[in-house]
Amino acid sequence: MQVEMSRRRFLQGGVAMSVVGGTTFSATNLFASHEESHGSVPTTITTKTSTGEAKEVPILCGMCVNKCAAFARVEDGVITKLNPNPYFPKSRNMLCPRGNAGIQTTYDPDRLKYPMIRIGKRGDGKYKRVTWDEAYDAIVNGTDKFKGLKQILDEEKDNRATVGYANGEGLSKEGFEVLIGQKMGTPNYVDEVSICLETAGGGFFSTIGTYPEIDFEHADYQIIAGANRAEAIITPDTMDMFKYTKGRGLKTICIDPRFTNTAAKSDKWLPINPGTDLAFVLALTWVVFKENLQNEKFMEKHGVGYEEYKQHILSHKYTPEWAEPICGIKAKEIYTIAREFMDAESPIYYPGRRSVFSPNDYQLRRAMAIFQALSGNMDKKGGYIFGNRGLLPAEYVKQPIYENTKERFDTEGIAFPTLKSGSWIVFRNMVLEGKNPYPVRAMLMRKHNPMMSVPNTTKTRAFLEKMDLNVVIDILPTDTAMLADVILPEASYLERMSPVKSYGFLEPSVVMRKAAIEPLFETKTPEVIFKELGEKLSKPLFEVSKKHDVALQELIKEKGEKVAFEEGGYNLAEPFEKPIEERNEEVITEVFGKKAWETINEKGVYYPHMEEYHKQLSPNDFQYYPKNKRKYTSRGDSLKIVCKNDSLTSGGIDAMPTWDDAWKFSVPKGEFRLITGRHAQFTQSGTQNNMMLRDLIPTNFVWINQREADKMGIKFGEKVEIKSDIGAIVLKAYPTEKIAPNQIFLLHGFGSESNGMEFAYGNGGNDATIIKDDIEPMYGASVMHSTNCKIRKV
Amino acid sequence: MARYGMALDYKNCINCKACEVACKEENGVELGAEKHRIWVGGNNPDGQWPLLDIASAAFMPSQCQHCEDAPCQEVCPTNATYYDENHVVRVDSDKCILCSYCMNACPYDARYVDDRTMTVDKCTFCSDTRLARGETTTACQNTCPTKVRTFGDLDDPNSEISELLRTRDHFSLKAHLGTNPKLFYLT
Amino acid sequence: MKIGPLNIPIKEDFSLKSILDFERTPINMLLAVSVLAMLAMLLLGVGNYLIHSHHAYNVTREHPWGLMIAVYIFFVVSSTGFCIVGSLGDVFGFKDFTMISKRAIFGSIVTIMAGFTVIAFEIGHPVTMLIYNVLTPGLTSAIWWMGTLYGLYLTFMIIEFYFLLNNDMKKAKIFGLTGLLVGLAAHSNLGSVFGFLNARTISQGVYYPTYFILTAFITGIFLSFIVMGFRYKLNFDDKTKKLLEGLAKIQGLLISILIFFMTWKLLTDMYGGMPNRAEVAHHIIHSTPFYAEVILAMIIPLLVILKDFGKSPVLMFWASLSGMVGIFFMRYNLVHDTQVKPLQMMKTNEYQLPPEWIEYFPSATEIMISLGGLGLCIALYYVGTKAFDLDESH
Repeated sequence: MQVEMSRRRFLQGGVAMSVVGGTTFSATNLFASHEESHGSVPTTITTKTSTGEAKEVPILCGMCVNKCAAFARVEDGVITKLNPNPYFPKSRNMLCPRGNAGIQTTYDPDRLKYPMIRIGKRGDGKYKRVTWDEAYDAIVNGTDKFKGLKQILDEEKDNRATVGYANGEGLSKEGFEVLIGQKMGTPNYVDEVSICLETAGGGFFSTIGTYPEIDFEHADYQIIAGANRAEAIITPDTMDMFKYTKGRGLKTICIDPRFTNTAAKSDKWLPINPGTDLAFVLALTWVVFKENLQNEKFMEKHGVGYEEYKQHILSHKYTPEWAEPICGIKAKEIYTIAREFMDAESPIYYPGRRSVFSPNDYQLRRAMAIFQALSGNMDKKGGYIFGNRGLLPAEYVKQPIYENTKERFDTEGIAFPTLKSGSWIVFRNMVLEGKNPYPVRAMLMRKHNPMMSVPNTTKTRAFLEKMDLNVVIDILPTDTAMLADVILPEASYLERMSPVKSYGFLEPSVVMRKAAIEPLFETKTPEVIFKELGEKLSKPLFEVSKKHDVALQELIKEKGEKVAFEEGGYNLAEPFEKPIEERNEEVITEVFGKKAWETINEKGVYYPHMEEYHKQLSPNDFQYYPKNKRKYTSRGDSLKIVCKNDSLTSGGIDAMPTWDDAWKFSVPKGEFRLITGRHAQFTQSGTQNNMMLRDLIPTNFVWINQREADKMGIKFGEKVEIKSDIGAIVLKAYPTEKIAPNQIFLLHGFGSESNGMEFAYGNGGNDATIIKDDIEPMYGASVMHSTNCKIRKV
Repeated sequence: MARYGMALDYKNCINCKACEVACKEENGVELGAEKHRIWVGGNNPDGQWPLLDIASAAFMPSQCQHCEDAPCQEVCPTNATYYDENHVVRVDSDKCILCSYCMNACPYDARYVDDRTMTVDKCTFCSDTRLARGETTTACQNTCPTKVRTFGDLDDPNSEISELLRTRDHFSLKAHLGTNPKLFYLT
Repeated sequence: MKIGPLNIPIKEDFSLKSILDFERTPINMLLAVSVLAMLAMLLLGVGNYLIHSHHAYNVTREHPWGLMIAVYIFFVVSSTGFCIVGSLGDVFGFKDFTMISKRAIFGSIVTIMAGFTVIAFEIGHPVTMLIYNVLTPGLTSAIWWMGTLYGLYLTFMIIEFYFLLNNDMKKAKIFGLTGLLVGLAAHSNLGSVFGFLNARTISQGVYYPTYFILTAFITGIFLSFIVMGFRYKLNFDDKTKKLLEGLAKIQGLLISILIFFMTWKLLTDMYGGMPNRAEVAHHIIHSTPFYAEVILAMIIPLLVILKDFGKSPVLMFWASLSGMVGIFFMRYNLVHDTQVKPLQMMKTNEYQLPPEWIEYFPSATEIMISLGGLGLCIALYYVGTKAFDLDESH
């Protein structure tokens, strides 16, 4: 009953935001009414699909980063169902629980519905509803409560780097990077990469040239370590993998501290001490070299520094007996697995992208890639697949040059800082500690919630409070939005067409998201926001540059202001001038022809020969490419396995994966190591207010070993306080034997402090408030599994 | 007229619950943990960390078994529960008096009360939604990431489900009760 | 005074005043206040039900039948019991028992009306039931037979009562016998509502249909002691004493048979090795309400009867009150124990305890409507004693 009420409230325009509005304005002038919405909103939470007329609009799921294709069933302007799209080779006619619950995200009663600017103190939740123009104007010129970009950049003499920006993963992320990074000119960009999978990508890339795809159809043995594909769903891996497990062709060894759903689908589950996977792989490698099980021919042909690596492993005596006390896995098991792996026809050490858990993650990925290569099962059927590149060319952007803009500075403690997305933690902490060579005065954040996603919320809050201007573009009043000075409401993924996206590898394709419905309320699509914001920013910021930028002044002298503005690329809106529909049509028609555009418009997916290749084989199975058209081998002779990388030593990083005893796992008595992970029904903080998913995961319980819980007198559902060095949260207890006695697990993405979100507010605990902001040495990516906690019943 | 059934390759199931959400969205099932037409069951694994019994942690998708001899149908005082022309066990909410006898009689816990109509609701094999539109899959089958489910006509020897049941070992839940379920678990 | 075209004989002094006219003893006052309170609860409970519908009840997917089903069974078992006792005299011709016939038949009418009142608010759509019971009868459904037969039974009981009032013993006998047979059929069908549940091994089988008749008879005798106790304010004349001694002796036999039945039911349940059933039986004998049932409805009354073979009617009156409380628990246990074992034993959500025994405790609304049913029953009976001459006609 409670939820039905909530949907009604949505119709009325949202009571939840009245809290945001505080006492200053009455509900009537603050909130959009139903009539003001462009589209219609269903009156019930779930809508039974009818047998009447309906539109089937191809969309691309936006509930997580994975991008699965679907069709939105639209009846009378209301999305009643999302169905999987059978044409997309990547997501193979499936939609996960979150994908199915996407309707609830679009029709979330707590959606941000119109632009707002802050009128109270930052964080007290007092906002005023404004028009889009007023909101843009506030960003440019500020209000009496906060400064605008124009003033900030003027004060900073056009050092564009004084404005930072952040964007979470998504199809419109690149547009924001173009607008704020390339066109507006700031290098200070942070995103999800440094709090996610940076070392996984980097480790594989620098060792074998790419992060590979796996051909599960032809694989017969896999080690899946620290990856949980049954719960952290990734397409097509999840669908492919579990068709063959449980004695059906793919023998599966699951290595995970926790008994996950993936463990439940495995042939063997070996709980490993958190952060010691590298020792496990090194020991596997030692067995292979010791017993000469490797594909010597393959390695001699492709290996770089292969002999040295062999000597390195053998001379360090990385024996299974050495690894046993470190990993907590019996030496006997390690011998067996190494032998079975090398004995298998097509063995896979699953690359397993995920967040960075331990400081040695970069070297772990290198060791994994090399171990896989030892089997020779790489760049071929049943192995690691490199496949095709994407089908679309990169776009060109006319980028202005800002003389006074300084370089990014977040490099402290990092061997190889990434220029593009930097390190969230180092960037934030250096600003907080005053180690920044120039001030950072504004943060423009889109689809990103660092208050919950970046470890150490206390510091993130302090960082954001330090800013003169915070702008948030999002769909929900997140914890981060609550610290914004200007809030721009974005259309959700079902209300917008997005730039086309191409996928490579074994079965390449291009996929497109269309808008199932018009943007609700006063929300706008990201590309429209980029265009309008670009238009509003261009002239005022050009004026700032004119004042401070000597090079520009000379250019103007030379060519006149108008030409300098146009040719210099100072028209920030220029890349967004054409509506996204036109841009998509243009690029598809240009690359594949007019027919392709018709196909992708109707089916959401296109790839050459699609009509010929795509077949339904059974009610559940489709062929996307015939086997003889799949490019199982693409690198050939050019494939390099970089076993030894001497260039790494310049940054103080080992040239070859080497164990350091500092990484040994230990937990002080009476404490627990906090580990994180995923469930299939939740995507971080992005789904925290989704009514449907809340049914499936009501809150984030803390897993604690059953016997430990018994000792402490903690029963299921009882509240416990979890306290680390930096903070404490209170959660309900879930005693289980699925976790080790010295570890605890909890789900990320709960415990919002924003009372604008009715269902998420105060539900569970935010792990970012207790996870320490440690980084790994390669890229400065945050390490998630290094925090010890104390537990007490409350 | 068909005789619909479903085969479940339950070893594929990863307990992601996509089917549960798809069912709710397709059929307009109300929210609430108790209000589900279909569900995936799981067990805490036997044993103590680190020696846990993987076999005991299997996942079992379940729902109305669309029994040939459905106890729920037999006990309905007003024939609100009936077999439709495709042998699907259905509830006519106009006739349902909510005596709840069927909920007690169903051996599979497959029925619940829809709070909006205050009548008993259950899986319909999407008869009044997808099948009525001429589609050939149920919402749960269609969305399943690991393709656990195959829905089809048991009377059609050429159907995928008939083929599966001819060639794969399978069992039914609580078969000893003589309910003759039309859900088949493939082993 | 005879009223209406049917010439229903009503007491001459029957009026609102006569209803309000009772001895103002503390016990009577307490009883009157209690009954009024219970009637108020009925209104409150029904009001709450009308506002919140079934949400006002603590019934769930796993435990769809709650207190009100138990109370319904309690009332109809009482009705059947009254009917059996009433039939002893005027149907079967046991002269000693004739003096209670009219009172018992009237009792059977008011108890079943109370039962129908309670069930009307338990069933989601009683009006739909009346329509589709006729239009699309579910002939394989024990509930259909039970409901339909009880409907007929009530009709026969009213007709029998009418002829009893008019001293037409011959017609009373015909309708009494028919009513009794229909009532027994209805009541054993109620037992079969549980007996047909092959999903619920603890209830499945022939036990409940037969046991229901036995316990109905036992209930009827308990109730007879209670109504006669009130009628004679525990000062029984010799004739009544004789009647009650006879009833007590029968009761002794019936309770002994019941204990014998139950013992074997439990022994075979627990040690018969049927999975599920054995578990539930063990669970039952570890539950408090089970002992309430055994001690209050069986052991206490039996001990009182055995003390002097039923020659202490006053003590039997009190033992019968205990017995009726025990019978209530018997009905509650029957309903609850049938459902106590979940039919789906797997976790449907990671964050839950594995399904174990199903817990149920009635909501305030369920309790109010149930007590309201009792209040209604007592009130109707009281009004009946004022309106009709329920003593044996001479």
